[in-house]
Amino acid sequence: MNPVDFYNETLTSVPTEHGFYPYESNGGTALAIAGEDFCVVASDTRQSNGYLINARYAPKAFKMSEKAVLANSVFAADGNALVRRLTQRIQWYKHSHEKEISITALAQLVSNTLYYKRFFPFYTQVLLGGIDESGAGVVYSFDPVGSYGLEVCRANGTASALIQPFLDNQVEFKNVQFDDKPRMTLDRAICIAKDAFTSATERDIYTGDHLEIFIIKQDGITIESYPLKKD
Amino acid sequence: MRAKAEIPKGGFNFDNYRRNVFLEKQGLGLPKAIKTGTTIIGIHFKDGIILGADTRSTNDTIVANKNCKKIHYLAPNMYCAGAGTAADTEQSNALISSQLELHRLATGRQSRVITAVAMLKQMLFRYQGHVSAALIIGGYDISGPSLYNVHPHGSSDKLPFVAMGSGSLAAMAILESRWTKDLERDDAIELAKDAIEAGIFNDLGSGSNVDINIIEKDKVEILKNYAKPNERAVKEQSYKYKRGATAYLKEYVREFIVTEGDAMDIS
Amino acid sequence: MDHHFPLNESPITYTQNPVVTGTSVIALKYRDGVMLAADNLASYGSLARFKDVERLYAVGDFTVIGASGDISDFQYTKHLLDAEMVKEYYINDGHVLGAPHIYEYLSRVMYHRRSQINPLWNSYVVGGYHNGEGFLGYVDLKGTTYKSSSIATGFGAYFAQPILRKIVEGHENTLSEEEAIDAVDKCMRVLFYRDARSLNKFQRAKITAQGVEITQPYSLDTEWSFGDSKIN
Repeated sequence: MNPVDFYNETLTSVPTEHGFYPYESNGGTALAIAGEDFCVVASDTRQSNGYLINARYAPKAFKMSEKAVLANSVFAADGNALVRRLTQRIQWYKHSHEKEISITALAQLVSNTLYYKRFFPFYTQVLLGGIDESGAGVVYSFDPVGSYGLEVCRANGTASALIQPFLDNQVEFKNVQFDDKPRMTLDRAICIAKDAFTSATERDIYTGDHLEIFIIKQDGITIESYPLKKD
Repeated sequence: MRAKAEIPKGGFNFDNYRRNVFLEKQGLGLPKAIKTGTTIIGIHFKDGIILGADTRSTNDTIVANKNCKKIHYLAPNMYCAGAGTAADTEQSNALISSQLELHRLATGRQSRVITAVAMLKQMLFRYQGHVSAALIIGGYDISGPSLYNVHPHGSSDKLPFVAMGSGSLAAMAILESRWTKDLERDDAIELAKDAIEAGIFNDLGSGSNVDINIIEKDKVEILKNYAKPNERAVKEQSYKYKRGATAYLKEYVREFIVTEGDAMDIS
Repeated sequence: MDHHFPLNESPITYTQNPVVTGTSVIALKYRDGVMLAADNLASYGSLARFKDVERLYAVGDFTVIGASGDISDFQYTKHLLDAEMVKEYYINDGHVLGAPHIYEYLSRVMYHRRSQINPLWNSYVVGGYHNGEGFLGYVDLKGTTYKSSSIATGFGAYFAQPILRKIVEGHENTLSEEEAIDAVDKCMRVLFYRDARSLNKFQRAKITAQGVEITQPYSLDTEWSFGDSKIN
């Protein structure tokens, strides 16, 4: 007899039922930076499961309106289900109010939609970036059950712990003394997003393959994409 | 202090087992060790053995080392690629390597691969799989080239081509579809590289570069970073801080004074 | 927790476990469309129970689904899809369900069932040809979906996907039918060597502008005699 078994508390073994856990982690990272009159939302496109790569191109950031982009991470199936529900609600809003939904209203809608499933949550961290009614760039971030807040910059997903301190330092200038803190320009925001992702790709095994950057401005949304390392 | 001397009993001591299980339940488990997620392979070719490895080591989901060494020295005619807990593979190899060296000094003969394998598997078996070392041992000795793998519990196989680690399935897929008997040296290196790259690109536990070791009769060639298919992208901007960027509460300047002799020549 | 239920009664548990199962399905895109393959084995645990089961199923004229996992759940899914195709046919408005529509429907069914904690215990590959191009998608028991130029389920994700990616990635529009068949055979051979729940008898499907073609079951030549040499 294995001596380790002898020391185990229960000597009788119970047949284990093949349980079903309805969640999984599909990895990936997203970030958003708000500027004076623009917003940048960036995310990688790798979808993984354990040590496997499901797909190298499976986007997790979506255009929700002409002025808002939503990025989500963790459980892709829940993320997609959430985006589908929101897309439909946004359409209904458009038809009943004869106008496009504002990002402020959209943020509240996202929160309500998440809290609606409080006891069987969408296992997803959500970022909402865009332009508000006054034309200013805004970023909202949400926890899986709908708690949310307005922010200047935020990273979420598997490399969030690597990227958030970098953004705090480079975007909000935390822990730096500067005589002249430079204005956040669109070019600089894109540079920071790219560097955040190439660096996260180096150290986080779940981040990589491609980078998609959504640029939200008053006159519309443009998408840029760049290759990331594939190892 | 004990009343009288006790004769130590053989075997393991499990006195702390229940305590450790209890602590684990309290959320005080052991800290996670650095694992070499790893793709490692070994193949026979016409004139010898090729060992291959990726160079990523991970601590959970974070890359701990982007260019680590997974092919270790065992003897002048013998190398060993390791997967599993980094400390275990390194220590097992160092231990056996040292014993082989002493054995060579005592006997004046070249080490044999089977000796190293026997020593490693006996050691690993004693530890009942708690030493997490999955090894591929390749060498060239009196009986020609030979290639073995040893599992953490102490079992071993002697095969024409082997793969281990989390990327072993990806690497094995390449080896199964392309390995043939009596491969030419260059073709064998190419096959080894492709097998490791399959691990690098398809297994998240493996990554970065390809290391290759070629072991032939009285000749070993070590090709560290034989392929580098994952160069880091150039950064968009510099993140050098301006002088004075860090806030401080107190300033304290201390001069270094040379009391005797001439000042050091630093020209 | 217990007080929600009458005494001596436990909550309803749906979640079964897979019983009779099929192993990997592999699929890739190529110049003319999409190709899929799956072997004909249905295992009962470690027993090779049925050796003539077809795990590739045509839905309509331009879609094939490949199933791994529980075979009875697959048979139920086939019934669902057939019912949906009949419903669409009877509407008789000239619209037919193509691969993306079938994929969407299947994904919703799978996600719905997982949300009821009563999943259909399968991984499905949907291959098709729609609007002049190939379609290839994956959906599993958790409702996880993705589209890719090569897909492999089960053990195939470990053994076949590395081979497929090397051949397909970046060559989706140039790969010929012969090259695609070679890739499929190469993967199925490796899977037969290494997957203990596989069988050297399988079918291959291709979906192109011309429609669906599923081959009769066939076998590959294998080589097991490496042990003859002095190195073993």
